[in-house]
Amino acid sequence: MRTPRTLEVWKLGTVNYLKSLKLQDKLVSERKANRIPDTLLSLQHPPTYTLGKRRTDHNLLIPEAELKSIGAELHYTQRGGDITFHGPHQAILYPILSLRSIGFGARSYVEALERSMIEFSSLYGVKARAGNKCETGVWVGDRKIGAIGVRISSGITCHGLAFNIDPDMKYFEHIVPCGIADKEVTSLRRETDAQLPSEEVIHEQLVTCLAKVFSYDDVVVKEDPSAILNTLEDDD
Amino acid sequence: MALRMWASSTANALKLSSSASKSHLLPAFSISRCFSSVLEGLKYANSHEWVKHEGSVATIGISDHAQDHLGEVVFVELPEEKSSVSKEKNFGAVESVKATSEILSPISGEVIEVNTKLADSPGLINSSPYEEGWMIKVKPSNPAELESLMGPKEYTKFCEEEDAAH
Repeated sequence: MRTPRTLEVWKLGTVNYLKSLKLQDKLVSERKANRIPDTLLSLQHPPTYTLGKRRTDHNLLIPEAELKSIGAELHYTQRGGDITFHGPHQAILYPILSLRSIGFGARSYVEALERSMIEFSSLYGVKARAGNKCETGVWVGDRKIGAIGVRISSGITCHGLAFNIDPDMKYFEHIVPCGIADKEVTSLRRETDAQLPSEEVIHEQLVTCLAKVFSYDDVVVKEDPSAILNTLEDDD
Repeated sequence: MALRMWASSTANALKLSSSASKSHLLPAFSISRCFSSVLEGLKYANSHEWVKHEGSVATIGISDHAQDHLGEVVFVELPEEKSSVSKEKNFGAVESVKATSEILSPISGEVIEVNTKLADSPGLINSSPYEEGWMIKVKPSNPAELESLMGPKEYTKFCEEEDAAH
């Protein structure tokens, strides 16, 4: 008989990128030691550009020094994937999962993240699809609506997915998004005429889609997760 | 099941030898991609790395099961020569499908050679995980660590159980 699987969701609002990295590091250790269940962080970032392990900074089209003047930060990370932008009105999910306990490898995990976003898009009548080979992510036609960048250490996942609800698209002009030069970036706002509910509702819907795709039996919302954020030491 | 045992006994029959790294022997697993292949003569970690121990040198890579579950590898990060690796600690990473996955060392020791071909041809890990896709060669500091690793039959069973779990 299969043990029921629980996903614990942390609704965090807007979180500074470095703080979210520190939180994820902490949670990955906790998950590895089996002190916490599979955990999902649901959040947004202030305007932030991030690079993956391959450090493809040639895909940043403005000098790093100018980023501050447009109100953005830049961070180098250990995740897979190329350069991307995170900002307000983009829904981010960082699943901290034990791949072994869900029986997934890297490829099937990423495919499930894609399916979560595709399922979510369909709630608004948007027909999204997974990327072709070498174009991991979620697309509407030739326009990218959802990005993925993941890190797996000792079988525990961190980083995750970013889905464009209605971000300021001008920020994407300063990068070659995900290193793919000839394709556009899009958003839920641009792809549907449907009335969009509040962002809180949208985030909940995205979380529900992920929980469904990953076959969780129970979804539990953690009370007051921001309290933990405040205990993480501030950066200089 | 029968097919997997056939693949295993074929590998045995072909006796892929210690000098096989540059040989042109037909790899035992090229016939069927339905099941991941497990090579005789190697030891395996439960994080899916393999070790080939020959005298004072141990070659390390990731298994066919591992590369299949990763997807197409586009980037490999390896340690430098003369650095040390520790059992069950990460020594490098691969990137596939926008995911970076850490690679853990099955044994402890000193890195004496690194497969530089993987910088330009990371896909060798997918196409030839036991041969051209080798990652590092190590001088083991504690050969007894090899005893705790799995043999081919045990590893095959381990993979089957893992895959059946979801």
